[in-house]
Amino acid sequence: MILGDLLDAPVYADGGQLGFVVDVRLVLDGPVKGLRAAPRVVGLLVSARTGATFLGYERTDTNAPALVWRYLAWRHRGTFLVLWEDVVGVTGGAQRGTGDARVDLRPGFRRWSPALAPTGTGSRP
Amino acid sequence: MSPRVRPRPPVPADLPELPTSLRGAGRVLDARLHLLDRQILDVDDVPVTTLDDLLVLTADGGELTTGEQPAFVDQLLTGPVLATRVFGGRPPASRWVRIPWADVTDVGVAVTLGVRGEGLDATWVQRWLRDHVIARIPGGRHDPG
Amino acid sequence: MKRLLGVALGVLTAIGGFLDIGDLVTNAVVGSRFGMSLTWAVLLGVVGICLFAQMAGRVTAVSGRATFEIIRERLGPRASGTNLVASFLINLLTLTAEIGGVALALQLASSVEPRLWIPVAAFAVWVVVWRAKFEVLEDVTGLLGLTLLVFAVSVVLLDPDWAHLAHTAAAPQIPATEGAASYFYYAIALFGAAMTPYEVFFFSSGAVEEKWGPKDISQSRINVLVGFPLGGLLSLSIAACATLVFLPQQIEVSTLSQVVLPVAEAGGKLALAFVLVGIVAATFGASLETTLSAGYTIAQFFGWSWGKFRRPSQAPGFHVVMIACLLVGAGVLMTDVDPVRVTEFSVVFSAVALPLTYLPILLVANDPEYMGDQVNGRVLNGLALVFLVLILAASLAAIPLMIATGAGA
Repeated sequence: MILGDLLDAPVYADGGQLGFVVDVRLVLDGPVKGLRAAPRVVGLLVSARTGATFLGYERTDTNAPALVWRYLAWRHRGTFLVLWEDVVGVTGGAQRGTGDARVDLRPGFRRWSPALAPTGTGSRP
Repeated sequence: MSPRVRPRPPVPADLPELPTSLRGAGRVLDARLHLLDRQILDVDDVPVTTLDDLLVLTADGGELTTGEQPAFVDQLLTGPVLATRVFGGRPPASRWVRIPWADVTDVGVAVTLGVRGEGLDATWVQRWLRDHVIARIPGGRHDPG
Repeated sequence: MKRLLGVALGVLTAIGGFLDIGDLVTNAVVGSRFGMSLTWAVLLGVVGICLFAQMAGRVTAVSGRATFEIIRERLGPRASGTNLVASFLINLLTLTAEIGGVALALQLASSVEPRLWIPVAAFAVWVVVWRAKFEVLEDVTGLLGLTLLVFAVSVVLLDPDWAHLAHTAAAPQIPATEGAASYFYYAIALFGAAMTPYEVFFFSSGAVEEKWGPKDISQSRINVLVGFPLGGLLSLSIAACATLVFLPQQIEVSTLSQVVLPVAEAGGKLALAFVLVGIVAATFGASLETTLSAGYTIAQFFGWSWGKFRRPSQAPGFHVVMIACLLVGAGVLMTDVDPVRVTEFSVVFSAVALPLTYLPILLVANDPEYMGDQVNGRVLNGLALVFLVLILAASLAAIPLMIATGAGA
């Protein structure tokens, strides 16, 4: 499955649409290939709106410039993380050759905080 | 000089933080935020191409349809995908240029590979231009100055 | 001397940015029609470019990423692709105009027809881009471009009423003979000329060429604070010369030979010789800057290897793009198009490229992933946001005003 197909795909649960996938969270703890552990999909970040979130203001420590942060954080308020295990169906574009994908979640899925861990994860050392 | 990173006001507290047992035991990266559209450098820090997309498969390389099986990033994808990323659609699988994740040595502001860019499919345009255009102009193989 | 040459990048960026052929003539036109009443637009532009070039330089020094790479990473393929198209067209148009400008300047010096100089100029630009070391390129062009200071000297020699000049600059009024639409069109043109995107692309890529690292942040700052204000000073000097010589008689300026007339009047043949050297150097410098910028932006967008510090065989796409641009530019010029009019169209594309260039720079300058603890302070952010609003306003107003005034006619 091409990861890009998931981005901006609509997310459904309990019959209704929850939002769109804005990002895919990965963690480097898969089987080691070469020098680095392969990235494993932890979950999907779902937001009511699509679109670039620039610096991921709703997820990270970056909070400047203040006006930009407030606007983007407001725009993507209500973003949540859903674990990969709670995803029950992914129809990606690769099978159909188009960009149309959709993600279906398990009825009892849980929403988690989208925050990246506070101590500079995903950043350069 | 005092560091300028200011303490961040808390994320809306109505959602629980992911407990460590579920978080995973390694570095966390968000695909769109930290990986897509980043520069791929080779072992000598020479630019190779842009990271356009990622191929995600199950542990034994099979296709994914549900979250029951863990999903892993298998390959970095690049190639003639600009038009499709801008306008939509998806190029056929045969047109992708693939770089196995095993070749990646570091992920920072750019993604660094442990191999030389010369031998990779991703740089074939550069090699073609070099052999057919640059080589025909005198002085192309010398250092500037 | 080493110290002096250490600011060559800033000086060259500024000269190529606001003293290219289009701006040389525009400044004189503004001086002859509006006097010094648009000084505020030049000053605003200088402050703006200093702010953002300083940020771009700092981002590149700390993270090693050049500006267009950051635009691609922050805006994604769609928006950065739009920026690429607009910026590339600006580069191509300006490059075409600059080569024409070199030919015009050489015509002034030699009375040989410009059409004969065009292939020579294009070839000379290419040879420098192909073989010369980046440091040599910037030092020679930057230094020779400084001879344009003869405009400032001429202003003094023309013995103006300083109080009157200062008054018209500080308390601007739209002259009775001009409309408000033209006034603001030229204000945007001057502001846009100072903040043309290729200046930051060139400056940040130049920072990589010079291998600036985190220790060179103060070097970057000095380059900015010396180079761009100097460019502003030269712009204002050209306008002042035109104000003193042409405005009283309401003479319209439209050719390069008219631009240098005040200098000849003030300082005779010697001054004229200096100014011709300066104009050839400035237009040549602008040709280099726009050609290299075209190469940098395309290569950075596609992730190709780039840089003059690499052999051409190691950065083939980069060099092929530049060769193609020079061929197109020279080809267009051979059809006898007026180089100065060509630059008027680049205003349109600037309107699109300006906000799409400066917003990502501001965002990345605040991102600890790229900057560590060298992120922007609050004051800088506040100022930058104000300018971003100004840039947006200018970019929205540019095209309507251009249509309404017939490009300032």
